[in-house]
Amino acid sequence: MDLIRHLRYFAVVAEELHFGNAAARLGMAQPPLSQRIKRLEDELGVRLFDRSSRQVRLTEPGRLLLAEARDLVARADRIRELMARAASDGVAGLRIGVPPDLGGPVIAALLAALREADPPLRAALTEMSTADQVRALIEGSLDGGVIRHPAGATGLAYGPVLVQHPGVLLPAGDPLAAFSSVHLADLATRPLVLFPRESEPGLHEETLSECRRHGYVPGEVHPGLHPQFTLGLVMSGTAVAFGPRVEQPGVVWRPLLGDPLAWRVSATWRRDDAGEAVEAFGSLAVRVLRENAGLADEGAARARTIRHRPSSGLLA
Amino acid sequence: MRQPDLAGVFRAAAVTGTVHAVDLDTGAEVGVGPDEPVVLASVFKLPLLVEFHRQAEAGLLDPAEPCRIGPEGRTAGGTGLAAMLDAATLSLRDLAYLMIAVSDNAAADVVAARVGLKAVNAMLTAFGLTNTWIEHDCRGLLAALDADRGASPEPLDPRALAHLRVLDPANTNRSTPREMTRLLGMVWRDEAAGPPACAAIRRLLGLQVWPHRLASGFPYDDVVVSGKTGSLPTIRNEVGVVEYPDGGRYAVAVFTRSLGTAQNQPRADAAIGTVARAAVDHLRSL
Repeated sequence: MDLIRHLRYFAVVAEELHFGNAAARLGMAQPPLSQRIKRLEDELGVRLFDRSSRQVRLTEPGRLLLAEARDLVARADRIRELMARAASDGVAGLRIGVPPDLGGPVIAALLAALREADPPLRAALTEMSTADQVRALIEGSLDGGVIRHPAGATGLAYGPVLVQHPGVLLPAGDPLAAFSSVHLADLATRPLVLFPRESEPGLHEETLSECRRHGYVPGEVHPGLHPQFTLGLVMSGTAVAFGPRVEQPGVVWRPLLGDPLAWRVSATWRRDDAGEAVEAFGSLAVRVLRENAGLADEGAARARTIRHRPSSGLLA
Repeated sequence: MRQPDLAGVFRAAAVTGTVHAVDLDTGAEVGVGPDEPVVLASVFKLPLLVEFHRQAEAGLLDPAEPCRIGPEGRTAGGTGLAAMLDAATLSLRDLAYLMIAVSDNAAADVVAARVGLKAVNAMLTAFGLTNTWIEHDCRGLLAALDADRGASPEPLDPRALAHLRVLDPANTNRSTPREMTRLLGMVWRDEAAGPPACAAIRRLLGLQVWPHRLASGFPYDDVVVSGKTGSLPTIRNEVGVVEYPDGGRYAVAVFTRSLGTAQNQPRADAAIGTVARAAVDHLRSL
């Protein structure tokens, strides 16, 4: 039997609780509708309606089935609609890479923006590090991505570069948690958990060299790609980490004094076959990152000035 | 926002102290005993420096005028001309530099003689800093100390301290933490004199060499600490301005008295930096 179709009939009867009205709504005669409901009851081995009184009532199994039936019918409709659209466009969706630590709300905002775009963009998102995205873009197994700079790849085009100034994540018991902001030099030799060199080679190098310039030389650098792993290392007091503000018991987030670290992000795609769709994705991704991930335009990055003190000057 | 435990910092370093810190742009403030009268010690060289630049600006003195400092009759001290042996000729403004950079007593008294303490006090009154008073120059201060100390050996017996007029705000150069941050605020906002004169004052305060007090609380290459220290038996002070890389600027005045009379108390010196950092951090978190 065609279960979906029978469930559709059942749902209408359950809503109307009147075979005549339900048949009218379905544009069919009452006897075949009654027959089909009977067949569904036989198939499932339960009575769905109580027809003993003058009024039709849902039985307990019928009531249980209604919610499931509505869900199945709606999903069947969605499959048809989706396939119809795919058939009419004649193209597959964009394959887009995003960093694993972009965060749930940002991913959701990105997907919503793709859906609401005019015309809607169909895209499949995959979590991928910058290095993997660059490789996949060049191979052609990815159409667009959101990467961290410096990416050091040729043949790619970039959307506007956005900047994020990460703060520091400290274990709740760290003495530095008592301060409202932390200077990089305050971190002294604390171990650091940072994206692995293999996945974010440019940013890994740039972040560590900026730390050294400001007087922070981590005693050890643990690779950590996923935010939950990083949080675990921080919570346990194993290491400190850099990143956007988080609210998490056991972890304290503090801004870094003077915003010494600038993490730059942009949308990217192959320069030689930039289509309309991928460029539309690029401008939409920038908007989402700006509005939902707290990223700012690149001009906001501040140049660092070193202020000399007589007691620490040359030959002092 | 919870008030930081500033008094606890003093306690931990075995000193008593007062402090006032103010955000120069928002006026937000925090302190412990900010209106208590305090002994300035060499911090008095700050108002002297301000009046020096006001007189130079008004044409009352030529800052480039050469002054000969002979080998005899210099005010005593451990730094600069006070410690040197031979005659030297320096301009008034370079003497002012030595007076601030290394707290040179001999240089300060040459500047003080030229500017006049009466004029410094008149300026303070005109600024409304009515609890600030310059009683004597370095020579006068050291004379009062010697007279009261008599034959007491160094380090001073704690009982001898009670007789020292230079440790009593009523009898020596005095102010309050709040009035010192107000004076610094006027210098940083170009209100104490014209902008070029205020810039010259700020430059000299930034050239002070001591790293152990206010500056010790801000060990960062991108933070500017400008200030003037003051020291006497049991007294360790510093007033100054801390400027952060994000543009935040804070005037801080810290005045401490140690319980012990030992001259070398690095913990007491560092407490000035620690308390200033805690106060500034509080202002930044408001």
